[in-house]
Amino acid sequence: MMALLETEGLTKEFGGLRALDSVDMAVEKGELVSLIGPNGSGKSTLINVITGLLSPTDGHIHYRGQDIVGMSAHEIAQLGLSRTFQTASIFPERTVRENLEIAAHATEEGSFSVNFLRRREDFDGVHARTDDVLEVIELEEEQDTTAESLPYGDKRRLEVAISLATGPDMILMDEPTAGMSPGETDMTVELIEGLQEDRGMTIFLVEHDMDVIFGVSDRIFVLNDGELIADGPPDEIREDPVVREAYLGGEVT
Amino acid sequence: MSGEDLTPSVETDAGLISWETWDRIKHTERFIAGTAIVFVLTFSWAITSAPVLSDIFQGYHRLALSMLAWMLLGLSFNLLLGQTGLLSFGHAMFWGGSGYAAALFAIHVHDAPLLIMVAGVSFSVVLGFLAALVLLRLHGVYFAIVTLAIAQTLYRLAREPLEPLTKGINGLRPSFGPLLGVFELGEYHGPLEFLGSGMYVFVGIFFVATVVLIARIRKSPYGLIFKAVQENETRARAIGLNVWRYRFAAFMLSAFIGGLAGTLYFMVTGPGLSSGSVVPERMLWTNSGNLVVMVVLGGLGTIAGPLIGVFFYQWMGNFFNGLEWTIPGLEIVGPVGQYWQLLVALAFTTVVWTYPDGIWGMITDFTGALRDPRSLPEKTMEKIPWLGSGDDTRRGDR
Repeated sequence: MMALLETEGLTKEFGGLRALDSVDMAVEKGELVSLIGPNGSGKSTLINVITGLLSPTDGHIHYRGQDIVGMSAHEIAQLGLSRTFQTASIFPERTVRENLEIAAHATEEGSFSVNFLRRREDFDGVHARTDDVLEVIELEEEQDTTAESLPYGDKRRLEVAISLATGPDMILMDEPTAGMSPGETDMTVELIEGLQEDRGMTIFLVEHDMDVIFGVSDRIFVLNDGELIADGPPDEIREDPVVREAYLGGEVT
Repeated sequence: MSGEDLTPSVETDAGLISWETWDRIKHTERFIAGTAIVFVLTFSWAITSAPVLSDIFQGYHRLALSMLAWMLLGLSFNLLLGQTGLLSFGHAMFWGGSGYAAALFAIHVHDAPLLIMVAGVSFSVVLGFLAALVLLRLHGVYFAIVTLAIAQTLYRLAREPLEPLTKGINGLRPSFGPLLGVFELGEYHGPLEFLGSGMYVFVGIFFVATVVLIARIRKSPYGLIFKAVQENETRARAIGLNVWRYRFAAFMLSAFIGGLAGTLYFMVTGPGLSSGSVVPERMLWTNSGNLVVMVVLGGLGTIAGPLIGVFFYQWMGNFFNGLEWTIPGLEIVGPVGQYWQLLVALAFTTVVWTYPDGIWGMITDFTGALRDPRSLPEKTMEKIPWLGSGDDTRRGDR
């Protein structure tokens, strides 16, 4: 069986700098994988290249067997490959509900639709989808709050919710717990596990929090200087001497 | 977050006239259409012959006509800057371009008012299409500068190279026939005198239709997605929205409404009520610039804001321009009236500094204070820079 997402010799250069160096990796459907690596090792670049915000210098990316290199970001998102951002990338002056409706529209009506004379209240599919996500993410009570006035942790959850509202099969999360309090982190971890277990979603996690990574991942990729140096289940990665030297140091014992 | 936000909007048994009723109806299309109709029916009368009001406004029928056209241009501009976040500094291209298309059509093809409208608007849409292909590759200030450049190019073309067609700086003044061959567009007497003229009814119908169209667009997914593109373009892309196409759609809608405005303005500026006029200056950058001032002054991102801004600006021009009063001892600088633009500048600076959401933002803040008196001091504190460091709430959508 072919992997859901597969990269082959994926390379990205910025001027003379090689941010990604021939990365080969594969993510199976339903897996929860994590990507770790020191700062500047190319983690965010990898996500940006996969989701079409950056175009690779060389190599291939296959999603469901289809080569998505050269497709634009919105086309890739339409395939069901969604992402979250490191910062709370939301629509700040819209309400929480509107934030999700925007994403739901993008999925229900395609990347562009021409019915600018149809009222929003008539889109039942959009409302059903929005209600569903509000429930999953537990932001129902805040649905009429302007997004920018939410506390930070809620903004980050809204950011994840926006991705969920597009109904993705696979979601790439760029440091979803960064800047969160321990309580918020626990909530997010619970959410991520729920997405995998209850919704069968494939999750690709970029994280710094080692407790989170080793707690939830089925498999871990280690990136160093743009090169994939290890790939395996958490126990194996923890013991891997190359990883320990490059990244973990004495942190994990 | 205040407790008010948590309360879902439930039916209350409060009277017909209550804030809850107001909240429920104020954004409905029926209410907006009704308000637009009442506005059009009373506007000309209010500024020309209503007791008290006409003394303040000192308007005349032609001013009412030209203000309605300017208001439509304001709505067209707002669709870009207020709704989608694109700053057009060349809306004069639609304003004058459609006027020329309409005039040439009236002279060379047919003099039926509705066909002239079709000609003017079609030209504007084609112009918008071609301009968008270039403009939508550009961002921010480059977008603004190139819109300006396109309008200025058209101005130059109309002035000299195309003189045989456009009559250069003399402009064109064709007359047109009755509407649908039956309805005269001239002055009204008798019971309909308060409307002024057939032309006013003609313009008024387009005005109401455009306001309703815009209200509908704002209620459609477009209204929300335009805002999404404005507030966070990258996120909009990442959830699967084709940002280019939505921007293109906004630009085309703006060109369409700009074409309506420009053609109507051509029709109401002729020597008589059944003739139009267009001159190259209509595409001059000062029109584009004044438009920015008018809409920002009134309040971006709303329907009422641009209308109020246009009205206020034009009213100041009309009222103060005619003022013969001189400052005692300073007769040498001439009547105060000729410095009306200075007064506009002063008003603009004051309003935009204290209320980034413009005059309409000011009004909604004060009505908010009527409902909840505690809200005012806090909001005023936020908005007046020297009182505290408030967030920039420039692009509020009320």
